[in-house]
Amino acid sequence: MSENLVEIENLRIAFPREGGMSDAVRGVSLSLGREKLGIVGESGSGKSLTGRALLGVLPSYAKISVDKMVFDGIDLTAASPKLRRSLRGGRMGMILQDPKFSLNPVMRVGLQIVEAIRIGDKKLPKREAFKQALAVLEAVHIRDPERVFSLYPHELSGGMGQRVMIAMMVVREPDLLIADEPTSALDVTVQTQVLSILDELVTRRGMGLIFISHDLRLVSRFCDRVIVMYAGQIVETLRADRLNEASHPYTRGLLACLPTIDGPLDPLPVLQRQASWLEARP
Amino acid sequence: MIQVDHLTVNFGPSVAVRDVSFSVAQGESFGLVGESGSGKSTILRTIMGLNPDWSGSIKIDGQDTKSTSRTDLARRAQMVFQDPYASLHPRYVIGQAIAEPMRINKLPDPEKRTVELLDLIGLPGQFRFRFPHELSGGQRQRVAIARALALNPKILLLDEPTSALDVSIQAEILNLLNQLRKELGLTFVIVSHDLAVISYMCDRLMVMRNAEAVETLSREQLRSRDIAQSYTRELIAAS
Repeated sequence: MSENLVEIENLRIAFPREGGMSDAVRGVSLSLGREKLGIVGESGSGKSLTGRALLGVLPSYAKISVDKMVFDGIDLTAASPKLRRSLRGGRMGMILQDPKFSLNPVMRVGLQIVEAIRIGDKKLPKREAFKQALAVLEAVHIRDPERVFSLYPHELSGGMGQRVMIAMMVVREPDLLIADEPTSALDVTVQTQVLSILDELVTRRGMGLIFISHDLRLVSRFCDRVIVMYAGQIVETLRADRLNEASHPYTRGLLACLPTIDGPLDPLPVLQRQASWLEARP
Repeated sequence: MIQVDHLTVNFGPSVAVRDVSFSVAQGESFGLVGESGSGKSTILRTIMGLNPDWSGSIKIDGQDTKSTSRTDLARRAQMVFQDPYASLHPRYVIGQAIAEPMRINKLPDPEKRTVELLDLIGLPGQFRFRFPHELSGGQRQRVAIARALALNPKILLLDEPTSALDVSIQAEILNLLNQLRKELGLTFVIVSHDLAVISYMCDRLMVMRNAEAVETLSREQLRSRDIAQSYTRELIAAS
């Protein structure tokens, strides 16, 4: 029995296109302990698909093949839809990018959290669920949980909405949290807050976290390890504090093209994509 | 070029911008930076006449925007929005989207100019037959810039022009904007929450918070940390 929470070997995802299949993820292997793992890449690099495949929420027309996909000793490739469904929410959670689109717009946010709690434990009395919902809102540093509880999503700011989403996901204390661009829609100041909340929860509850983002610097500040993806493949795995030692030209290009406050004013270096990056890697 | 004095914008009972003044010289690039809800985008929209309820004075090229007709204003200043997915008409091909302002303003030969504009922003002329959904995010933002340039404005108002894009694409768009500013002698007002982008793109910047101006800095002041307000320091520390 391995100690890893998640193990994926040779994951491939393809979508039907006119005249054949188009490969979106091409042979991704990764393992995750109780740590913070970052997956970085541009749009279309397959990073979100990898997260979704693990959760089992890909559309039915996606063609998935994988040699091994194990979550905490459970073989996900052989698991029944019913078992996978029971894992979702309870033991695996996912935080999506934009709270505006991911919360129910016509339901008070507190009740949405209560709903999440009661799906997990149907026998739990209502009052107890309300209490838990308020407690978790407080845990994600919402100052006035009673007031926020009865607000609708459109009445929340972006950062507040994102915290409500996090609250909804962590309230059932999952072992694995997949955060798909959780801070891309937020300001830098709010971003820092949300990240520190995530960090606190992961550390305190011993969760495994997969943090998907296109911002390499952000990920490297926050995660333990970083996987860099390009066109459906992993091009490099790095320790976050050794980002400067990145050897692949794609990773270096991603680092170089960011402006900095004190950086030079010359034209920014632009990624020169090379066809060789697309080739299959051993 | 742009002179904003004591601008206050109300949305019903709430104040979105409170007594903000700044001026932008010809050919200058001016940045507005702050968290969301601080009123920076509202200022841009008000300059373009997209908010009805405001007081104070806004002058473009010495002319008060209140007494300027909409078409005249559109020829002087144009806006590029944050989200290229939302700012292009989904059922217009690119050529139509770029040519529409020229048609409205009855400019001669919009087709020829559309190809020139596409060339200017670095896309092949064949792209004018494509729909927005056939383009990537970066290509779409280029098209939005071409559309804004169609009437030969002297001023571009850029509202978070790269925050919906990947970092690798952001570099391409920022380079393009700098190159266009140099070639066409444009004046920029750029709104962003990313201080690094503002420091790279702008000669001067204004930090905003809770509808008010916190302080105005030159790029040199920002870079030498010659900063008076603690909020600005927090912002630098966070980015």
